[in-house]
Amino acid sequence: MKHWTEGFDDGDADESLVRPYTITGGRTTSERDDLTLITLVTTISEASSEIGHGLRRMQPEHRAILGLCRRPLAVAEVASALNLPVSVTKILIGDLIETGQMRARPPLAFAQAGGFPSMTILEAVRDGLRKL
Amino acid sequence: MGYASSDHGDGAPLAVKILIAGGFGVGKTTLVGTVSEVAPLRTEEYLTHASVGVDDLEGVSGKATTTVALDFGRITINSELVLYLFGTPGQERFWFMWNDLVNGAMGAVVLVDTRRLDVSFASIDFFESRGIPFVVGVNCFHGVRDRSQEEIRKALDLDPQVPLVLCDARNRAASRDVLLALVDHLMAAQRSRTAPLPTS
Ligand SMILES: Nc1nc2c(ncn2[C@@H]2O[C@H](COP(=O)(O)OP(=O)(O)OP(=O)(O)O)[C@@H](O)[C@H]2O)c(=O)[nH]1
Ligand SMILES: [Mg+2]
Repeated sequence: MKHWTEGFDDGDADESLVRPYTITGGRTTSERDDLTLITLVTTISEASSEIGHGLRRMQPEHRAILGLCRRPLAVAEVASALNLPVSVTKILIGDLIETGQMRARPPLAFAQAGGFPSMTILEAVRDGLRKL
Repeated sequence: MGYASSDHGDGAPLAVKILIAGGFGVGKTTLVGTVSEVAPLRTEEYLTHASVGVDDLEGVSGKATTTVALDFGRITINSELVLYLFGTPGQERFWFMWNDLVNGAMGAVVLVDTRRLDVSFASIDFFESRGIPFVVGVNCFHGVRDRSQEEIRKALDLDPQVPLVLCDARNRAASRDVLLALVDHLMAAQRSRTAPLPTS
């Protein structure tokens, strides 16, 4: 597997589909398969002071993600804010997790075999909805 | 306290999700926008990439850019819990995303339009076949109530336990009540899981 900074080429960003994958250095699939649409990701504040540490080629989008996620945001929210496809966003977030600049909180696996939201969660959701 | 069963209690809340499903033009985006605390957000995914699973750029760049969009909203329940609502079209070209969509979902609201019940059949089939709890929201376009609930149930071949509620996706209280109907349905299911039925 090629490292994402290999073969990096800025000169070929004219095609709308190519540009997002240029950001990822040509990678189109994430090595992490644990990021979901509603995994909440948060910038680790201590790490943000030494931005770029551990990432050989920090893209502006990496920085934008770190800036956005000072409060926890879902992967889908990050993708939407950056106007990037979900798969590309997952790759970038994966980079930042790998280099210790972000942490992720995955959702509980309700819909998977046997999973079911607890009464505590259901009551909280009900009470929250009633306040709408 | 916290809802975590894991050791991720590092400040981030827990995210849960309700899917707003149903066929083309039944009011999914409208409902998401009506109850969301933020304007509905939109995110895209590459159809070519995700469906083919390629990992070489050449293969992707040669094809036309096909993206599918899905919209979602957010309701902050409290400091420890955030509810996301995802509008999920019923078209088959979306199926590849459904593992991710279903992941972390508590259940679903399937919206139907009484004039075109058939466009929501696929969504109902999907949740039924995977055992994902859902309620049916009958979106009352133009105040049309041309069919009785019994007729709609029959036409949808709906399991008697599945709640069916009338709603207007443009109305906040009505949309909220559909979501509450789902939560009540989930609570009833939870109770019957944990407590055996009293012997008669
Ligand atoms: N009269 C009336 N119109 C509605 C209602 N809900 C939605 N609409 C309208 O119906 C149209 C379709 O609604 P959408 O919310 O875009 O439906 P959708 O399910 O998101 O549609 P797709 O994403 O295209 O499948 C829009 O023009 C809405 O304004 C309703 O309860 N009553
Ligand atoms: Mg829509």
